[in-house]
Amino acid sequence: MATLKEKKTCSERMEDFRRFVWNPETKLFMGRTLINWVWISLYYLAFYVVMSGIFALSIYCLMRTVNPYEPDYQDHLKSPGVTLRPDVYGSRGLQIYYNISDNKTWDGLVTTLQTFLTAYTPAAQHLNINCTNDTYFFQDTFDGPNKTKLSCKFTSDMLQNCSGITDPTFGFPEGKPCFIIKMNRIINFLPGNGTAPRVNCTYVGDESSLLEVDYYPVNGTFNLHYFPYYGKKAQPSYSNPLVAVKFLNITRNVEHRILCKVIGAGIISDNVYDPYEGRTLLKNT
Amino acid sequence: PVQNMTSKFPSGPLAKAAQVLARDGPNALTPPKATPEIVKFLKQMIGGFSILLWIGAVFSWISFGIQLAQGAESPFDNLYLGVVLALVVILTGIFAYYQEAKSTNIMASFSKMIPQQALVIRDGEKKELPADQLVVGDIVEIKGGDRIPADIRLIFAQGCKVDNSSLTGESEPQSRSCDFTHENPLETKNIAFYSTTCVEGTATGIVINTGDRTIIGRIASLTSGVGNEKTPIAIEIEHFVYLVAGVAISIGVLFFIISVSMRYKILDSIIFLIGIIVANVPEGLLATVTVSLSLTAKRMAKKNCLVKNLEAVETLGSTSVICSDKTGTLTQNRMTVAHLWFDNQIYSADTSEDQTTQPFDQSSPSWTALSKIVTLCNRAEFRPGQENLPIMKRVVVGDASETALLKFAEVILGDVMNIRAQNKKVAEIPFNSTNKFQLSIHKTDDPNDERFLLVMKGAPERILERCSTIMINGKEEPLDSEKAEAFQTAYMELGGMGERVLGFCHLYLPENEFPDTYSFDTDSMNFPTSNLCFVGLLSMIDPPRSTVPDAVSKCRSAGIKVIMVTGDHPITAKAIAKSVGIISATSETVEDIAKRLNIPVEQVNWREATAAVVNGMELKDMSSQQLDEILCNHSEIVFARTSPQQKLIIVEGCQRQGAVVAVTGDGVNDSPALKKADIGIAMGIAGSDAAKNAADMVLLDDNFASIVTGVEEGRLIFDNLKKTIAYTLTKNIAELCPFLIYIIASIPLPIGTITILFIDLGTDIIPSVALAYEKAESDIMNRRPRNKRKDRLVNEQLAIYSYLQIGIMQSVGAFVTYFTVYAEQGFLPSTLLGVRVNWENNAINDFEDSYGQEWYQRTYLQWTGYTAFFVSITIQQVADLIIRKTRRNSIFQQGNKVIWVGIFSQIGIALILTYGLGHVTALNFTPLRFQYWFVAVPFAILIWVYDEVRKLFIRRYPGSK
Repeated sequence: MATLKEKKTCSERMEDFRRFVWNPETKLFMGRTLINWVWISLYYLAFYVVMSGIFALSIYCLMRTVNPYEPDYQDHLKSPGVTLRPDVYGSRGLQIYYNISDNKTWDGLVTTLQTFLTAYTPAAQHLNINCTNDTYFFQDTFDGPNKTKLSCKFTSDMLQNCSGITDPTFGFPEGKPCFIIKMNRIINFLPGNGTAPRVNCTYVGDESSLLEVDYYPVNGTFNLHYFPYYGKKAQPSYSNPLVAVKFLNITRNVEHRILCKVIGAGIISDNVYDPYEGRTLLKNT
Repeated sequence: PVQNMTSKFPSGPLAKAAQVLARDGPNALTPPKATPEIVKFLKQMIGGFSILLWIGAVFSWISFGIQLAQGAESPFDNLYLGVVLALVVILTGIFAYYQEAKSTNIMASFSKMIPQQALVIRDGEKKELPADQLVVGDIVEIKGGDRIPADIRLIFAQGCKVDNSSLTGESEPQSRSCDFTHENPLETKNIAFYSTTCVEGTATGIVINTGDRTIIGRIASLTSGVGNEKTPIAIEIEHFVYLVAGVAISIGVLFFIISVSMRYKILDSIIFLIGIIVANVPEGLLATVTVSLSLTAKRMAKKNCLVKNLEAVETLGSTSVICSDKTGTLTQNRMTVAHLWFDNQIYSADTSEDQTTQPFDQSSPSWTALSKIVTLCNRAEFRPGQENLPIMKRVVVGDASETALLKFAEVILGDVMNIRAQNKKVAEIPFNSTNKFQLSIHKTDDPNDERFLLVMKGAPERILERCSTIMINGKEEPLDSEKAEAFQTAYMELGGMGERVLGFCHLYLPENEFPDTYSFDTDSMNFPTSNLCFVGLLSMIDPPRSTVPDAVSKCRSAGIKVIMVTGDHPITAKAIAKSVGIISATSETVEDIAKRLNIPVEQVNWREATAAVVNGMELKDMSSQQLDEILCNHSEIVFARTSPQQKLIIVEGCQRQGAVVAVTGDGVNDSPALKKADIGIAMGIAGSDAAKNAADMVLLDDNFASIVTGVEEGRLIFDNLKKTIAYTLTKNIAELCPFLIYIIASIPLPIGTITILFIDLGTDIIPSVALAYEKAESDIMNRRPRNKRKDRLVNEQLAIYSYLQIGIMQSVGAFVTYFTVYAEQGFLPSTLLGVRVNWENNAINDFEDSYGQEWYQRTYLQWTGYTAFFVSITIQQVADLIIRKTRRNSIFQQGNKVIWVGIFSQIGIALILTYGLGHVTALNFTPLRFQYWFVAVPFAILIWVYDEVRKLFIRRYPGSK
């Protein structure tokens, strides 16, 4: 096998490269004539313009075919996630620690709750109607203004002791903190199969001691008239119903694991892979 | 001393031989020490892209370590990625190692298949043994043309000459006798050395050294370990690796800088970098190349080209000059009767490989007489037990000419041995170089004829001298000057064709002078040897193989120059060159022109001559410039009477012209030329082990035509590798763009690193290999060999077309699928832009989509996105496969069934991954809605149409851009 590799010095290589960039004899710039380069650039320009056009056209067609009111598929939204406010995350999920005597440690938590509840002031909810039926609130027609559907009012005062109105510190200084539990919105989702889903919180791993909880609204239920949700476009002023939980007998300086589940037909809460599906796990000290 | 030696090592019982064999080991050179297996293995582990992937793996582990230390939530993803990358490297390394080992093994097993034979006298019995079974003390017989099977001390020699060039470099044959002439074993006349050749004569000797203890063994063990240089395809692949690695590293570093300056965390930037590297490196490609090459090697082995070094498969395709041996390669390597002259007329005989009859007119009584001489005045005999073999394939004990005559007679007359038995031989003078004839006296098979028949054959002029009459149509006529003139003309004509001419004469001895009981004495020659009756001439040649002329013309149209390099006489060389087309019918040498114009050779303008026959003696005096001039200016060259050293000079001369040179050779002394050549081709049957060791390829049937098949396969594999690489490179862009857009536009990651590996090592592998089965596009043997400096395996056009055109189209198609999936699941494209940070924030589990729905299940959607992206790349790769199938021809012009296997495997694997393994979390696949498989189909069609249009333009306007 003979060698095919010629050894070149560095300067020769540089010289070769310089000749490649501009060859004065053949008037080639990088191996092509300038006019050739112009044509090639124009070709590529045209090519990319056309490709962008095709892409834009495809996206345009896509936008024309999607339903503006609800997504075509909800393949991954079989069951709603449950979230908690305030939401403070540690390395292993939701973790909330605070020191009763040091208001700096819980100020942030309180502010989070207050900010969260500003969406539920009567002023923020003025577009929504009062609902009294304890059944699903089906709307086949657009009864609201500007071709929208109506949404039921949920105001923070429904959370009573945890509304922040009577107790702006949400019970944190007393060691009986309030947490607000929210179920994720899913379009056309009907939880509970006719009975209102409710929140239930328990200690995890420590079945002996009983967790005393106050639920607001009463029984910790999500009223059925907030369902189904028809989507942002149909119900622009819709707000999720909430359940507040107030833990009454938390032993201090001990780490607790508290699990709050939403119980109701159609809400899956025992999928080990999905920590937020239908439940939320809270560590609390 | 001979007595001493024989008594010391009696050529006795077989048991003794076995004992000595056990003590000394086989009579073969220990092969040069091979590279340790572990080194070969490690080389595979760090070669090519492996180093990039190792970097990726190390980065993954580093980021895993950092994340672990920081207590991040899911650090194990990076650990797994690192492990997967390392596994990929190790597995492809093992695969490449395995392939290489396999091809080495083929070679190893092959060299055992056809061992050299030696004629040994053991237990008073002559037998042929494999040469490696020889032991010290064996008595061996050698004759002209044999390789000496061991170092031997001669005890009998008749006109023995040996070619010691492989030892001493002296190409002049040296005579050998039984006389001790010098203290130095290299100088003394009574020792013949292992691996040298006996040029002529016969000799018998005692083996004195075997195997590594022979002189050449001692030299060989000193000089072994010549480094292997790189093959053209290795250089091409290296070039390609550099190119792709360059692109990968520069894009990687560029985006590392971009992402750092966009205030991504360093750790994130490193992870992006890994993604970019993985996307850019075609992990499966090198394995695919190896498989393709070994497929071709297998195909070539079926066609009698055994490739020792996988990469040499392609070298043959880029060959631009073939320096071919004459004997055995271009010719059949056996003397065959080509012409006869009797009754004042020349007859042609059939010289093809499988003759069973002879077509010329056999009715003349002169022929009957001639055939009788041919049959009787001949010492050659068929080895017994071959009655069922075709005559041409039977093994004969005897020299080349006699063998030719024997076979010739056997074909025409039938059982020669029987005829000889009926015409009992009573006396014989064998051929020798002083009297240049062979004579024997026979009783005739005619019971009524008591006369003895004296038959003689030999050099025509010597035979004619002894004749006073000549047989014309069965009648003896006086040999007058007119008839002698006719003889001369015929002799010249046959000799001018490069043929070896023999004259035949006979004489019926008068019954009264030589009665039945007469005792003939060959020493005193008590019988007449003159005034004989001349019967005819027979001329013999080693005829070209019937497949060679076609192969040579194929080479010519493929732009390959065929140069004949032979040790033979220029006239013979030229005759064969003309008959196989190495010198074409219309071209002339300087000598031809001189003859035609009737002017002295010196006055001819040698530039007018397209052909040249260069004598070894002339070559000796030439400077390298003169040689270059000859190589440049003549398209048809024959080198005659050359020594092995000159072969090397010729090869170097060709390489100076920038040619890729293939050299055929069989002898030990050809090894330097075989090594020097870009591809050395050894002869499988005639070749020595040394030649086979030095060569890159072995022709199992010693046939030149097989080389042409090899060239075709080599060119085909180059084309097909080009296709494979183009196919593989294209999707790199579609794998890379997601990362770039992800970094720049902060959309959810469209495709994961693991998913990319599933494309590179899953769906794409079988289609890439399927491209190796692609048939030649029509012009493969009609174009010039590739210019190794210009026609690269991966050139800018290919890379740019793959990357910037087809790759972009694929990316657009894949992104449309991606956006479709997200939009139909709730995230419209406008929502996706810039969401990366929140999207990937595990603390946000009520991420809002375009419809107001709240998500924590985003990972699944992201995986669905991966799957959709994966599927659409796969679908578009089908189109890519179809367009890469052919480079010029339209898809409608060329079919290949294996491509379908590729397409179905691709889709099948994708289906299994998405639906079968969609629930395995670690793989990041989810079962995909069926309609998403079709989103990319219009883009696939677009790619196909676009490329068909391109091919149409290429066919319409060949040669432009």
